[in-house]
Formats: sequence, C-alpha cells, structure tokens
Amino acid sequence: MTDRTGTFESVAPAVAETRPPGTAGKWGRVVLKGLIPWIVVIAIWEIAAASGWNGAVLFPPPSAFIAYAVESDFRVGFGADAMPIPMAIVISAVRVLVGLAIGFAAALITGIVISAFSTISDMLLPLIRGLAPIAPIAWIPLGIVLFGIGNPTAIFVVFMGVYFILTISTVAAVNAVDQRLIKTARSFGASKPQVWTQVIFPAVLPQVFTMLRINFFAAWMAVLAAEMVGVKNGLGMMIILGREMFNTKLILLGMCMVGATGYLVDVLLVQIQRKILWWQPAP
Amino acid sequence: MTTLACHSVGKVWPGAGGLAVTALADINLTVENGEFVALLGPSGCGKSTLLELIAGLEPLSSGRITLDNKPVTGPEPGVVMVFQDHSLFPWLSVKDNVGFGLAMKKVPKPEREERVAKMLSRVRLSKFADHRPHQLSGGMKQRVAIARALVESPEFIMMDEPFAALDFQTRVLMQRFLLEVWSEFKPTIIFVTHHIDEAVLLADRVVVMSAGPGRIVEEVRIDLPRPRRMTDPGFNDYRTRLTETLEREVMRASDDDGLAAIAGSVSDAA
Repeated sequence: MTDRTGTFESVAPAVAETRPPGTAGKWGRVVLKGLIPWIVVIAIWEIAAASGWNGAVLFPPPSAFIAYAVESDFRVGFGADAMPIPMAIVISAVRVLVGLAIGFAAALITGIVISAFSTISDMLLPLIRGLAPIAPIAWIPLGIVLFGIGNPTAIFVVFMGVYFILTISTVAAVNAVDQRLIKTARSFGASKPQVWTQVIFPAVLPQVFTMLRINFFAAWMAVLAAEMVGVKNGLGMMIILGREMFNTKLILLGMCMVGATGYLVDVLLVQIQRKILWWQPAP
Repeated sequence: MTTLACHSVGKVWPGAGGLAVTALADINLTVENGEFVALLGPSGCGKSTLLELIAGLEPLSSGRITLDNKPVTGPEPGVVMVFQDHSLFPWLSVKDNVGFGLAMKKVPKPEREERVAKMLSRVRLSKFADHRPHQLSGGMKQRVAIARALVESPEFIMMDEPFAALDFQTRVLMQRFLLEVWSEFKPTIIFVTHHIDEAVLLADRVVVMSAGPGRIVEEVRIDLPRPRRMTDPGFNDYRTRLTETLEREVMRASDDDGLAAIAGSVSDAA
C-alpha cells in the first residue's frame, strides 16, 4: 500500500507550489526589454529637437510637453472650464470601463438567454449581426441626440460598440461548450437551469472576456472621439483644445496620456483575466 | 440489488440530408449488481452511444432500458459517467469538482465537505484539494474524475475509455487503482474500451460489439482469479479468442462497406 502510494505520487507532475528562484529577476528583464525601444525612440526625438530639427515645433519632444504640463500646473483649459489633467484621465478611463462593464454583462445575459431558446436566437441573431459591424464612433451622433452632452453619451457609445459583438461571441461560445462537460453535469444530477448557471456560464466567460479585451481599443477610441466632438471634458477634449489653440505641446501631451491610459487599462484587463479567469492562460 | 437490462435497444442518429445513421441495433444485455462488464469493440461500433443511452443522456430510438424493471427516461441518481478526457470542470478546484454532484443535489455543505475530504484521502489526493485540474497530471485528473463518481456512492459507473489517453505506466497504475476501489465500494461498472488486454484484465465479463450497425456479437465470461496478470496462464486463451472475434468482425464490417469505404478511410487518414 505504502509502496503504491509512493508510485502514485511519483506520477504527479512538478506542481508549482512556490515561484521558482529567479522569477523576480526574469520579470525585471522582461520589463527592461519592453522599455528599451521607448528609450531609443525618445532619445532620438530629444536629440533631434536639441540639434535644431525644424519639426520640433510640430512634434515637441517629451521634455518640452512634460515641462509644459508642469508649467501649467497640470491643468488645461481656461477659467471655469479648466480641468486638472489627472481628472481628464480618470474621466475618460471611468467612461470606458463603465461602458465595457455594462456591455459585457448585458451581452453575456443576452447571449446566454437567446442561446437557450433557438427560435429567439434564430430571430434576433440576424438583427444583431447587422448592428455589430457599426463602428463605435458611428454611434456618437445618435448618442448626442439621445442623451445630450455628457457621461451617458460616452457610456452609450462604448456600450453600443461592444454589446452586439460580445453577444455574437457569447452565442458562439455557448455553442462551442464541450458537450462532455454538459453530459457529465447532467449525469451528476444537474438540472437544466443548473447546467446553464454552473457549466455553460463559467465555460463561456474566458472567450467572451478575450473578445472584450480585443474590442477595448475600439471602445477607447470611441470615447476619445466622443470627447472631441461633443462631450466637453476628458482626454479627447484635451487634444481638441490643443488643436483649437494650435498648441502642439498640449496635443502631444494628450496623445501621450491617451496611449499610457489605454495601455494601463489593457494591463488591468489582463490582470482581471489572470486572477478571475485563471483557468485559461491569458493570450 | 439493482439489475440493468437492455431489451432490443436501437439508436438512430438523424444524419445530414436525411441520411440517418443506425448506431445501435437490437442490443440485449443484462448486467447484475456489482458486476464489472467491459464493452469491447472497434471505434464506431456504438459502445459510447450505448453507455450514454444507459446513463439516460440520450433518448432511445427503439427498445427499452430498465433499472430494476423501471424504464430509464433521463439521468438517474446512482448512475454516473466517467469520460476518456476526464471532463473535469476547469474553473473548479479539485475538491469542488469532486463535490459537484453533491452540490447539484443540494447536499448540505458540512456533509458535502466531509464526504469530499474522505474521498480525496481515499484516492490519495488530499494534498491537491485546492489545486486546479490544469495543475494535475493525466493520471491524477482521472483519479479526480473517479473520486467524483465514487463520492456519490453510485450503483452504476459508466466509464467511456477512461484510460485511453494515459501513457502505459499510468494506465497500469490506474487499472490497479480502479480494481482496488471497485472491490472496496462494489459499484456496478460498465467499462468501454478497445483494448483487449485491458478488458480481460479488468472485467468479469467482456461484451464484444461490432460496427455497422453496432450490435453485440459475443459475450465472454472471464474465469480467471484476481488479481490477474497479463502473464497468467489462461490469459492468453482469452486474448486469442477475443482477438479472433474482433478481427473477424472488423473484416466483415469492411466487406459490408465495400473496398470503396476502406479506400475512403485511408484517404481521410492521409
């Protein structure tokens, strides 16, 4: 008996109970590799500007636009409209995250509910497939007509931009759930509603979340576009204000913030995927 | 004492373009309480389909399946499945996988946890209770799947080629393990395999099936004392007899299909 136990455990793989030594060092190297191209690009840019490159007027280097941000006390705009830059970042990021969260939840519910009734999904899917290709930014004018200028419009644009695509993705994921998992659950006494809530719902989460991540960038762009054309605050407004004042430092500062914030939100989404949807490796 | 009986069971799958496929025809089979029956046959003979019909996962096209003379109309408590790919829920920990059936049946949490912990220690996986399936080896996953079945105290365990994906050494260990828990818990096991040696090694009775349509061609009772070894005298006689039956049936099935079908399957494989 003991002998056999020993044999069994030897079959077990080396399960990662603790991080292997040197993990921190490896992470450091990964971060360093990612930083090198940034440093090179910024260095060339700065050197060109310092050595009298004419384009530096249109493309002021980071040292110039960061100095500008410090000078203007991290605020943009005039008088009552003036807004701290961190506030602009938070406003834009919250808009996109709220829109994504509502779109994700609504698409999961819609996708699962219509998959459960084939007649309803046969009826609704062509409609949804007709609405899905409409780019998020194309919803901006309708959003402004419906909700005026403000947060609801920005959230509406993000929602419309992801909802239909994620609903299609949910229906596809439901159809792709491993039939053996469903059969196993049924053989272990799961009722029909239990199969939907305990098997199909968790099984589709990773795929739909991956689609959410893929569509995040389009949603992010839509929020900025909405801020440029109507919703009068956030990072999009910062860039358009720069254009109106012909202040290239402000334009580039805004672009830099858009890139950095978008990157950080994407990192956040990857972390959510790793921590909550841990059973699927993040792509 | 539960007896399983299949009476003239048939299953027809509706095919594309009205080309229905007869998967099973006129299956008659009786399995006694506590028996270990192996369903042996080439791929495509409908042995997995028969298992799913018995488990109540698919409706019959004809005939009747009864448990103690009561017809099977859906998944019955006390009849559980173990699939080849273990089919563990990847989002649940090992202990939640094992407790899945109990949770579905709303067994109170303290009782559930106690039964799961006992079963995990029985299959020597207590240390891995909080691990996720993807962190386990193939053999350990299959032990979790077996623990998930045993924790229900089932009367019937339907096993669909459970060890087919394992390497040889793991497979040998798992076969011993299965016999060990079978003699301890005494469930009735219906075990689908296409390995002749595995069938002779494990089963009280080997039921040989043939393809096109799937039906039973022979039943062989294995009168060898346990524990059996493949080197036992007598083992080879059973192996030879079953090999001859299977070869004959495979040849006959390919004759029925005609050479075109063989050529087709070769080009498919290529």
